[in-house]
Amino acid sequence: MSMEKHIFLVDDDETFVFLTKEVISFANIKTKITEFSDGQLAINYFKENYDKPEKLPDVILLDLHMHIMDGWDFLHEYATLEKVFSKKVKLYVVSSSISPHDIERSKNYKVIEDFIIKPLEQLKFEEIIEGLTQNA
Amino acid sequence: MELSKSTVEYSAPQAEEMESIFQNSIYAVVVTDEMGKILLWNPKAVKVFNYGPKEVVGKLFFTLLTNEARLEYYSLMKEYEGSDFADLSGNYVESIGLKKDQTEINISLGISPTVFKGNKYFIYYINDITNRKQIATALDKQKEFYENILNKLPTDIAVFDANHKYLFVNPGAISVEEYRKFIVGKDDYEYAAYRNRPVSTADERREQFLQVKNTGKEIRWEDSLPDPNGNIITHLRRMFPVHDENGDLSMVIGFGIDITERKLMEVKQAGLVEQLSAQNVQLIDFCNIVSHNLRAPLVNISMLVELIEKSTTHEKQAQYISKLKPVIENLHTTFNELVESIQIKHDLEIKSEKINFKHCFERTLEGLASEVIKSEATFIPDFETEFINFPPKYLFSIFHNLLSNALKYQSPSRKLNVKISTKKYADKILLSVEDNGLGVDLEKHRSSFFKIGKVFHRHANAKGFGLYMTKTQVEAMNGKIWVESTPDVGSTFFIEFANQQ
Repeated sequence: MSMEKHIFLVDDDETFVFLTKEVISFANIKTKITEFSDGQLAINYFKENYDKPEKLPDVILLDLHMHIMDGWDFLHEYATLEKVFSKKVKLYVVSSSISPHDIERSKNYKVIEDFIIKPLEQLKFEEIIEGLTQNA
Repeated sequence: MELSKSTVEYSAPQAEEMESIFQNSIYAVVVTDEMGKILLWNPKAVKVFNYGPKEVVGKLFFTLLTNEARLEYYSLMKEYEGSDFADLSGNYVESIGLKKDQTEINISLGISPTVFKGNKYFIYYINDITNRKQIATALDKQKEFYENILNKLPTDIAVFDANHKYLFVNPGAISVEEYRKFIVGKDDYEYAAYRNRPVSTADERREQFLQVKNTGKEIRWEDSLPDPNGNIITHLRRMFPVHDENGDLSMVIGFGIDITERKLMEVKQAGLVEQLSAQNVQLIDFCNIVSHNLRAPLVNISMLVELIEKSTTHEKQAQYISKLKPVIENLHTTFNELVESIQIKHDLEIKSEKINFKHCFERTLEGLASEVIKSEATFIPDFETEFINFPPKYLFSIFHNLLSNALKYQSPSRKLNVKISTKKYADKILLSVEDNGLGVDLEKHRSSFFKIGKVFHRHANAKGFGLYMTKTQVEAMNGKIWVESTPDVGSTFFIEFANQQ
């Protein structure tokens, strides 16, 4: 785990972003965190940087309920963009929603590794990072 | 056989033939003198009346009739009295004969007065029609039976010949007997003229008839017409061809069933289904709102509390505690908003009042005074329709949401202009609020425009609750709301208020 892991947080809930960063900091993992307050900003970033592996994250933690562009609209565009990524990126939905409707709907997107119901526990985060190194 | 003897004398070969015809006739033949006394009869007559071959000779003809039939016979014979028989033709009646054993038989009776060698005779031709009579009676009964069915059926039935002339209509189709009698043998054009009705219906019927005639196939259609009381009655109608054994069109049968009740039920059911599916969408929305909008701040609170417990420094603890307040406030607001929206959906008791649009508009602007002054916005009211019947609380809320949205999402590159107008059509009032603000890309956002928590601009006060509330209030009163918008040109919100007689 020597390599620094690059994490994208796509979420407009400031408090939750703060708390998630706290949780991540407790894990003994070197990380760099970039925040996007809505889906559109993240999509814009990917459109510019899809061919630059050093600019792409290892993990995306995506919220579903966001203003401007929500998680679903983001996923719709991301699914196309991801195909031309110059690096393997793992996307996790992290939502406060416990609605079965949302969970069912997320199964339509193959780009989603897992549907995590908030809060994001430290243990779960460590699992995600472990999964990265095992696959690498 | 005096008569045949005379005939023989007159012309031997002919007489022989005549004798043969007389003896072998399938009709019973009885010959009497002028007074009705039987002179001779043939073997068939013997068989029909069942007397011995000579038994009736010398008796009066009416012996062979029942008492009742005799009266008729007398009156019939009256016209021959005192006549020389010269210009008289025969008579033909149906009567009732009497066998020797007094059993009655139905007979057809032909009476032919004849003068032969200066003497007057009557020749009676008799046919036993008891069987035929029985069959006819049975047929009549059957006819009555079927007609009864056709007439009593609660459907309308019309039968046409191959040229679209009426052969039959039942009382279901035309209740007045006089009209029913008129129409047989006529077509719809003649009937329309007779009843002083427009030709258009006849044109329509002719077209349908020709379609059936030309395609040889049944057609079906529904029509809705007002009854004499003005109620709309819907019929399901069918018209189908009937062909004879040669495949030629022999008739076309049309019939209709009153499906008004079914139709009303269908409309009612469609309305219920629509209402149910709308409620289902609302329910899913609501489920999502509760599972996210309420849960999100709760998750944050529980995470913060956990961190506060774990934290080892006062600084950290203080930092976490400071984060609690806005989250709790958020939870509080969301909770209140949800309660408010539930109340709208269940506030069936809410009363409409007559409200002046201008008054409502002015009060709303007063409430937004500081924002209006700051933005130097221009509002152009045009209340063509001045009053509306609506719950005041909702109308003020709708005005506040639409006007404050216009103020919130104005374009930084131009001064805000808002046109507010009302217009009435039928029993509806259309309110439109048109601005020259930021606008929204509806291609992307149409489906979620009025949903809770949707925001389309990075604005500090955007919470996405206003339009959701407006939509809920409008729809609770059976109205409609929609939007037209072009990015960077502006948006126009339309609200159609229902039940504004």
